[in-house]
Amino acid sequence: MNFNKFFELAKEKGISESQIQISKSSSLSFELFQHELDSYEVQSSQSIVACGIYNGKFGSARTERLDSTSFSYLIDQIIVSASVSEKSEAASIFKGSEKYKKVSYFNKSLGETPVEEKIAAFKKLEDLIYAGDPSVSEVQVGYSESSSSSEFYNSYGLKLKQKDTYYTLFGMAVARRGEEIKNNFELDFGNDFSNFKPEEFAKKIVTETVKKFGAKSIKSGKYPTVLKKSIVASLVRAFLSSAVADEVQRHSSFLEGKLGEKVACSKLTVEEKPLTKNIFASYFDDEGVAKTNKVIVKNGVLKQYFYNRETGAKDGVESTGNGAWQGGKIGTNFSNIFVKPGKVSFDELIAPIEEGVYITEIQGLGTGLNPNSGNFSCQAEGYMIRGGKIAEPITLITMSGNLLKMFKSLKGFDKEAELTLSSVTCGNAYIKSMSIGGE
Amino acid sequence: MISKSLALKVLNASLETGGDYAELYIEQTDSENINLENGKVESFGSKRSYGAGIRIMQGLRYVYGYTSDLSAKSLLGLAVKLSASFSGERAITVSEIKKGKYKVINKIAAGDHLYEIPVEKKVAYLKECFEITKSVDPRLVRIQDNFLTTHRVFELYTAEGATATKFVNEEERGRLSIVAMALGENNDVQTAFNGPGACHGWSYFTKTLNYKERAKFAGEKAIGLLTAKDCPSGKYPVVIANGWGGVLFHEACGHPLEASATAKGLSVFSNSIGKPIASPIVSAWDDGTIPNEWGSNNIDSEGVPTHKNELIRDGICVGFMVDRFNGRRLGMAPNGTSRRESYRYAPTSRMSNTYIAPGKDDPADIIKDTKLGIYVANFGGGSVDPSTGQFNFSASEAYIIREGKICEMVKGCTLIGTGQEVLLNIDRVGNDLDLGQGNCGAGSGSVPVNVGQPTIRLKEITVGGSGGKLE
Repeated sequence: MNFNKFFELAKEKGISESQIQISKSSSLSFELFQHELDSYEVQSSQSIVACGIYNGKFGSARTERLDSTSFSYLIDQIIVSASVSEKSEAASIFKGSEKYKKVSYFNKSLGETPVEEKIAAFKKLEDLIYAGDPSVSEVQVGYSESSSSSEFYNSYGLKLKQKDTYYTLFGMAVARRGEEIKNNFELDFGNDFSNFKPEEFAKKIVTETVKKFGAKSIKSGKYPTVLKKSIVASLVRAFLSSAVADEVQRHSSFLEGKLGEKVACSKLTVEEKPLTKNIFASYFDDEGVAKTNKVIVKNGVLKQYFYNRETGAKDGVESTGNGAWQGGKIGTNFSNIFVKPGKVSFDELIAPIEEGVYITEIQGLGTGLNPNSGNFSCQAEGYMIRGGKIAEPITLITMSGNLLKMFKSLKGFDKEAELTLSSVTCGNAYIKSMSIGGE
Repeated sequence: MISKSLALKVLNASLETGGDYAELYIEQTDSENINLENGKVESFGSKRSYGAGIRIMQGLRYVYGYTSDLSAKSLLGLAVKLSASFSGERAITVSEIKKGKYKVINKIAAGDHLYEIPVEKKVAYLKECFEITKSVDPRLVRIQDNFLTTHRVFELYTAEGATATKFVNEEERGRLSIVAMALGENNDVQTAFNGPGACHGWSYFTKTLNYKERAKFAGEKAIGLLTAKDCPSGKYPVVIANGWGGVLFHEACGHPLEASATAKGLSVFSNSIGKPIASPIVSAWDDGTIPNEWGSNNIDSEGVPTHKNELIRDGICVGFMVDRFNGRRLGMAPNGTSRRESYRYAPTSRMSNTYIAPGKDDPADIIKDTKLGIYVANFGGGSVDPSTGQFNFSASEAYIIREGKICEMVKGCTLIGTGQEVLLNIDRVGNDLDLGQGNCGAGSGSVPVNVGQPTIRLKEITVGGSGGKLE
């Protein structure tokens, strides 16, 4: 598409400056169930999001219809959008950063392995899971690979492009012993399928499933609690959502006025490293601002909020490269968060706990968490810790608390940090005390 | 949106390798979202979603693909790519297309369509809501008022023989959302939400809906939460209010009754037809035919007219929500419940307006007969694992019941349990059925659904909170 034509047409209609982004993606995915190919999907799609300044106000629109009608639709909608805007802040389109440090996560060879070979590999994976334990009654496995590109242009001549490829895969086992039904779901992702180890993956799924048999609820109370890294990742994300400047400026963040203050135990150091080469790598934000690596929390002290251009201007600071589309406006987001790991192994982390819980799965944090107050309550399961060792499985319990209080009572992390799908790299965490609801 | 001759070519290319059913879905959805922050227009976003999905079935296998490029080259290319994953001989050649008929359930009068209403009118409406919420209490520091309008037009071609059927359908929805945030001591921010939606025109939102009360409720609830104590934890009797309280049934029992879960034996309710799964005072329905309701549709995503489907009768499981594909595994006919978020998703069995039928009790008596327990007036939401039946819900508004009276408000309350147990655990059912609106996310994306129930009581359920033991 000729984007200069868009900028010209926009200018003719009174849009003084504008930007346009085009995203394209294609993907292939399949799932197997009981040794049969259960679903098989292919897709190719594209979409454009555009914005501009009309009578000094910001307006935006997006479309997936790319034909002769696209530009006029976008321009008309930008005008409607800007005309009703009542924002008092001066709006503008960003001209460009001085330097961009390009990163991408592209692997051409990912899509080159024939799909039949991949399907055959997953049939083997299914066999491995079934063979893992006689109690396994149903198995589901699935694979998806995507390649995507995003291009950014503005009326000042800025041009930015990024291309990525990645795969995600999952395996799930359901196991039955009498009336008892247990399951476990594991994920893997990356962009080099040759690194995937089906034997290890299958073993993990089955072991984690059968270990859950006999799980019971426990007495309600406060317990020393160890959180599995995937859970730590979700809670760190939730905590950082309060470091978004927009929330702070609108008085809906528990981190308001806390810059330079201690907001967590000194064991907590958190960085954002968007330029790290992994599935979440990106080097420019949705305003065209160059992304950079930065420290957010250092030894428990809050060092930095996340800014886009508008919220940065309000506080008299530069954007931190965190501008991201949120509906019809450019809001703020973050990715590739790194939590500084500890020095001990998992076994050493739990060794001092005489009686406590190890939480391995949570459900319902999406609705059970109030991001503004930091209060949360969700369903959980895992294991008891007795005498410093993992003991019997526990289920149908709840875990509740407050993010700020929880990170203050953090005792530390182990050294087994890993990248999770919530875009946070972290280890398992030991919390001094947590409210557990059960019987 | 595409010519009949191209549709024929695409269907035939799809069926080239022995497929026994082919479906072509073409969609354009225009949506607009007006967002006010503290009474001022913060953003107006418009979006045009546009594309086509092709699904081919052969026995117990299906393939699906989609594209946002509707050119003949792209659609035929997609059909060929998809059909290549089957390796049989052609069994069906489509030679003609007939028009599919259905009854229009969601009627909106000319001039009342939400897309016909100027943006300025909607902005004025939202400002009125803001003023009402704001006037509740000065501690309401942030109020977000939002109006979302979607207008979808789709063409659907289905073929399982020489004659294909073409359906053309329109869906329109509107939803008002009010978020109120109250700031208390020590940066404590409490949030409340109210979000009525419907397949109605503008006059519903301005005249029928009591939006003034909704705006006031949101403010009052956020303020109430500032002084609420932490919810206790343990096992207690819980009374759940009517309307949105039905989300518990939706998650814990509705999802496991979808054919996508039952067909593969992955649901706790697989093979449950004819068996008792609930207390004998419980009956439940999924009804996609209630005129203009948020979860209603004229036809489903496979061209099947929506039904009023009975799920549970006097505690006995009598039906599932069945889509065409999973119906094959179950040997059951599809019953108008196949839904999708957009062309980006293959459709599957989903809920529409799902509710527990009204019982005989006066809701006031249910409270009066509860000595010590929890009253959940509203939920934030929840989720379920259909294979184990384990569910969780977080209450957004809850109170302690003492000596038959609703007393102090509590916050941070979660209910957990299993779908199998909770249905058997219902010991009172009120006569005050009401519905509440939500968006349900599952295999075929996010779809608008109504949940519903009268006031009910659970004999005992695990309640989680950080407030210690209930005394």
